[in-house]
Amino acid sequence: MAQPNDNKVMSAKEAVARFVHDGDALIIGNYTVGTCAELVFEICRQGRKHFTLYSQSGILDVDVLVNAGCVDRLVTTYVMRSGGKKGGGAVERALQAGSLELEDYTNFNYNARLMAGMHGFTFIPVLEGVMATDLFRKRGFMGEDKYRVIPCPYTGKQVLTVPAANPDVCIVHVQRADRFGNAQYWGAMGSVAAAALCSKRIIVSCEEIVEHDVVQSSPHLTIIPAFRVDAVVQIPWGAHPTEVLGYYNQDSFFYGFFRQFNTTADAAKAWMDEWVYGCPDREAYLDHYASRFGTGMLDKLRAKAFYSAPANYGAAFTSVWDETGRNRLLGLTLAEIEQKMAERGLLNE
Amino acid sequence: MSKPYTLNELLIITCAKEIEDYQNVILGVGLPTTAGALAKALYAPHATLMMESGIIDFQPLVPLHHIADAHSCRGFSYATDLFTAFTMTYRGFVDVCFLGVGQIDKFGNLNTTCIGDYFNPQLRLPGSGGAADFISYAKKTVLTLRGGQFVEKLDYFTSPGYLDGGDARDRSGLFPKGSGPSMLLTTKGVFRFDDLTKEMYLSQIHPGVRLEDVRKQIPWELKVSPQLTVTAPPTDAEIDFVRRFAPAESLGREAATELAIAHAMQRADARGKNGMTGQRN
Repeated sequence: MAQPNDNKVMSAKEAVARFVHDGDALIIGNYTVGTCAELVFEICRQGRKHFTLYSQSGILDVDVLVNAGCVDRLVTTYVMRSGGKKGGGAVERALQAGSLELEDYTNFNYNARLMAGMHGFTFIPVLEGVMATDLFRKRGFMGEDKYRVIPCPYTGKQVLTVPAANPDVCIVHVQRADRFGNAQYWGAMGSVAAAALCSKRIIVSCEEIVEHDVVQSSPHLTIIPAFRVDAVVQIPWGAHPTEVLGYYNQDSFFYGFFRQFNTTADAAKAWMDEWVYGCPDREAYLDHYASRFGTGMLDKLRAKAFYSAPANYGAAFTSVWDETGRNRLLGLTLAEIEQKMAERGLLNE
Repeated sequence: MSKPYTLNELLIITCAKEIEDYQNVILGVGLPTTAGALAKALYAPHATLMMESGIIDFQPLVPLHHIADAHSCRGFSYATDLFTAFTMTYRGFVDVCFLGVGQIDKFGNLNTTCIGDYFNPQLRLPGSGGAADFISYAKKTVLTLRGGQFVEKLDYFTSPGYLDGGDARDRSGLFPKGSGPSMLLTTKGVFRFDDLTKEMYLSQIHPGVRLEDVRKQIPWELKVSPQLTVTAPPTDAEIDFVRRFAPAESLGREAATELAIAHAMQRADARGKNGMTGQRN
């Protein structure tokens, strides 16, 4: 359950140690872009085990967690292939080894489970086309509870439903947040807000922590309110090698580099040893990157500014008293108002 | 001895004390907004104030005109929608909400829909608005009654209090355990609900009010706390805050409206305009 409006800024190490536990249902909040790479790496370093992992779309993040042996069960809609026909990657290896159970949904049906969880519903109707497919027929560890069919009370038509998801903890990377946890994100909205809001605990990592008044002047960018957030971690380049709109582009070279290693178990282990376990935190990872490839590689990825037009949140006044000390509505000073109160017998001793 | 205060000020300040630091609070319009602003300024700096329109975490600088008043503050932290504001309450993220009362029965059930027959009303009141949903799922609900009435039986059952009393609310399985109205504030005193029977009893009486004045408004045999206390008079700091934040609230709607119209007319006269007299001629 969420914490109060206090300063929740901490390191990735502390956030993971406090809020991510063995056996958790863990959800990766990001979808396809800007993934919470450093939080994923830190979870691997801390050797967490036996997750039921939720990911709308498995990319580097899912494969790294599966490579690290953190995941028993995976709920997803899409699994990245690293090496074409050659070697699919960590998820494929784990399925072949029988160390991973998988539940397959469509993008919409997966997202619907988060929406139901976010809003406190126990289930939600979804698009019924999949009833013709093996997505509906082949059940993994969820069995009967993967999908259930009920009659619509209004039309009598058969309605396909999925159960709500309320994972134990969400890890999510955003552009910016304030120290209380108000998390601001823009760009491809995906299922990011729902993934966070359906979860019991939320760890936010961000490119930068900003002053509270920055948030207050742009509340429509906030996707997670402070009172839901447990930890805020400032991690510049925290999503590398994926991209963060307004901060940096995808590092296609390094992503390809990872995929190449990820085609076999041994190579993947070597990559993990070098880039995950070999770097105690993101700063060390960036130092290591710079020492191997030079800082110029990252500099080329830095975003050039393209600011949104500011929206006007102003009001005519922010005090009921005008510049001469008179109440705007009554045209009276405080002393005059108090006199009226006395005249009308409104005052009690 | 604190400075003299108006009854409205006493009510606002008594209401504000129901908000604790770090709580998530849904504010209604009028008295609760000023109470919320006071609480945030004086007792509960970490409280998250919210409006059901989806304005989350704001600091009121001027009184709200309605529950979608972004002009009342200088920015806020999170803009969501009404649907999410309610499901947020449903999921248990709202600690306190405030509701006004049209009719109330002894178990804190409310009518804000109509007086008389529903299909042929003597008075048509506003309706549920968010009331039935908020009192269902907020951890606690603070009720305020100024123009409303106590009745044996509601003319229309809008919002669930403790249903038939006792454990009826919890037993129904429709509401979070332990939720429901925690207090009713009127111009005469403060009522609370018995832990076991859930019947309301008088817990505090405002200064200068006699017990018989309270009983006169209530059609059943009112229970009175053996530890009945007199509502504490407000402190100077509390009075100053309310009077500076919302002098019109301090005065009361009637006096404030009268003075505001007088002021507008004077201004029009001074500028050689006819004001409202122009319309009459």
